[in-house]
Amino acid sequence: MNEMINGTEAVAEVSQWKIGAVNLYSDILIVTLIVVMITLLIAAVMVNKAMKSILKVTMPEVVKQEAEEKKRKAEARKAGWKALWNKIMGIRPIEQEKDLITDHDYDGIKELDNPVPIWFNALFYGTICFGFIYLLVYHVFGIGMNQDQEYEHEMAMAEKARQEYLAQAANLVDENTVEFNEALAASGKAIFTANCAACHGANGEGGIGPNLTDRYWLHGGEIKDIFKTVKYGVPDKGMVPWEQTLTPAQIAEVSSYIITLRDTNPANAKAAQGEEVEKYESEKVEE
Amino acid sequence: MHLEQFSYDNKIVRNFGIATIIWGIVGMSIGLLVALQLIFPELNFMTQYTTFGRVRPVHTNAVIFAFVGNAIFMGAYYSLQRVLKTRMFSDVLSKIHFWGWQLIIVASAITLLLGYTTSHEYAEMEWPIDVAITIIWVVFGVNMFGTIIKRRERHMYVAVWFYIATFVTVAVLHIVNSIQLPVSFWKSFYVYSGVQDALVQWWYGHNAVAFFLTTPFLGMMYYYLPKMANRPVYSYKLSILHFWSLIFIYIWAGPHHLLYSSMPSWVQSLGVVFSVMLIAPSWGGMINGLMTLRGAWDKVRVEPVLKFMVVALTCYGMATFEGPMLSLKQVNAIAHFTDWIVAHVHIGALGWNGFMTFAILYWLLPRIYKTELYSKKLANYPLLDWYTRDFVLCHPNVLGCSGSGVDVERVYSGRCVEISKLLVYYFGNHSYAYDESTWR
Repeated sequence: MNEMINGTEAVAEVSQWKIGAVNLYSDILIVTLIVVMITLLIAAVMVNKAMKSILKVTMPEVVKQEAEEKKRKAEARKAGWKALWNKIMGIRPIEQEKDLITDHDYDGIKELDNPVPIWFNALFYGTICFGFIYLLVYHVFGIGMNQDQEYEHEMAMAEKARQEYLAQAANLVDENTVEFNEALAASGKAIFTANCAACHGANGEGGIGPNLTDRYWLHGGEIKDIFKTVKYGVPDKGMVPWEQTLTPAQIAEVSSYIITLRDTNPANAKAAQGEEVEKYESEKVEE
Repeated sequence: MHLEQFSYDNKIVRNFGIATIIWGIVGMSIGLLVALQLIFPELNFMTQYTTFGRVRPVHTNAVIFAFVGNAIFMGAYYSLQRVLKTRMFSDVLSKIHFWGWQLIIVASAITLLLGYTTSHEYAEMEWPIDVAITIIWVVFGVNMFGTIIKRRERHMYVAVWFYIATFVTVAVLHIVNSIQLPVSFWKSFYVYSGVQDALVQWWYGHNAVAFFLTTPFLGMMYYYLPKMANRPVYSYKLSILHFWSLIFIYIWAGPHHLLYSSMPSWVQSLGVVFSVMLIAPSWGGMINGLMTLRGAWDKVRVEPVLKFMVVALTCYGMATFEGPMLSLKQVNAIAHFTDWIVAHVHIGALGWNGFMTFAILYWLLPRIYKTELYSKKLANYPLLDWYTRDFVLCHPNVLGCSGSGVDVERVYSGRCVEISKLLVYYFGNHSYAYDESTWR
């Protein structure tokens, strides 16, 4: 089964990268066609060159005429572009300047009557259009954000980032850093019911696994001990390692829940196993 | 036939010219001090009078109102008389204008260093000086309109339109933004408060750029550039179009100084779109100037005054493109409170105003004194670097503005703006090969 899956995957991967078709004959046909085409192209160029050389010998005046025609057209095109360019720039040939001079004369300063350049008008009207669009975007259609909306948007983004960070931070706990947190116990209970109750009993009274409500512990009864036992398990005795199934945050939650089961004396409690803990650390602190 | 005889008043032009040079040296030296204070805090000299906060406004006001201001009056008094074909309306008013303006400058410098300030940028002077400015400005206006009335030319040349726009708008701006309630001789409170105060202030501040640093200089460009190049003005139509569009649109652009503030969103957007619409009207002035040089580019290769003019015009073009870009809030969010803004101001005030002032000084003073320039070679010397590398060096911030660059920029650009210029100016001259063909 596994090999079959791997096999199909391999084929899919190869066909993704291979240019050629699956059929070998099609590949041969395509390569042959490409070679033929290139040969034809080279042949055509050669023939064309040969014809031209022949033409040069037999009808030199026609060739010359053609060349002149070509040159003339190129010049005309160039002049056309220049005229268009000058029109856009609002430039008249400097030889025509005397026709443009106005009768103004201020202390010897004369003024020309050149037109306003087209590009200048385009720029001016363009910026005016920009102004209208800008106002519409920000104040009519509401596409753009004003500063209040920007503020709220950025605060929302920051809040989202904060939540993401906190969620991640919760997963950064391990057996050395975990602390008891009563607030986590509620969600820990759901995890306990789903995963632990089968062996440890619905209320932690014990079953296949040890009683979690008494003061006797096989592997330690403090939060850090419990976190470690849940995370890595005790495979020799049948306790499953949970680190693949539960996130560190979830392990912390369930560990906190187990702490809340202390001394709850449920019905059908399993007999004590392990060493008795006389005083938990939290009880020592209370003194 | 009766031959009318009259003479132009060149003495007042000379006086304003000398004042321009003196205040230019003073203003830029203070600028250097301010820049050095950013790297060497001990240059604050441990007295309240010489700390950065007090010296900086002295630098900005000295450069704008003393250096550029005197240059405007020099340029206007010379060209007004000639394009209107008459002497100034009143020599007495000219003298009052000159000495009044110099007194205002001195009083401003002293009071600012003593700590008397209204804390409104470019309008820091307290109310008695504001009153004095108003009086002297009116003197200038009377003198100018008197001259216009008694003119011997039928039509008014484009330069005169720009001077009129300057006078009218600066008067309106200055008076409206200076309405304060005095509580003592050196202390007053603005009548506007909060966001209204901010809006009025930047309506003023932005249009100080428009009508003190731009329109008078466009007027001067229209007189001096054709004279220097001996070429006709490129397009009369374009001059009409860009004059009216410029003065109409500029007035609305002030709110772009207040993006991301408590000012209503729609006012901010209005400031943005009017700023973007300013590109073409501003460039109209630049291209009308540059195209006037058409057929005279060979002169640009040898004449330092024309080189200075070309630099001024290209700086103007760059600054007026950069400004609209900076006013887009997406760009502004990055650039605001960085030295990019400082660099932007310098492209305008030094590149555009400064260079045109240098050009006019170089052209005018030999004519006033009926002599030749002391050394053309010396006049050419600073140019090689200024107009090639300065553009790059003035904007270290463009390179350094993204993300992590901001810290480097904070440390560097304060001095970069002023010092890098000087360093390159003095030491970097020989490493750059100047390609003359660039300007053909």
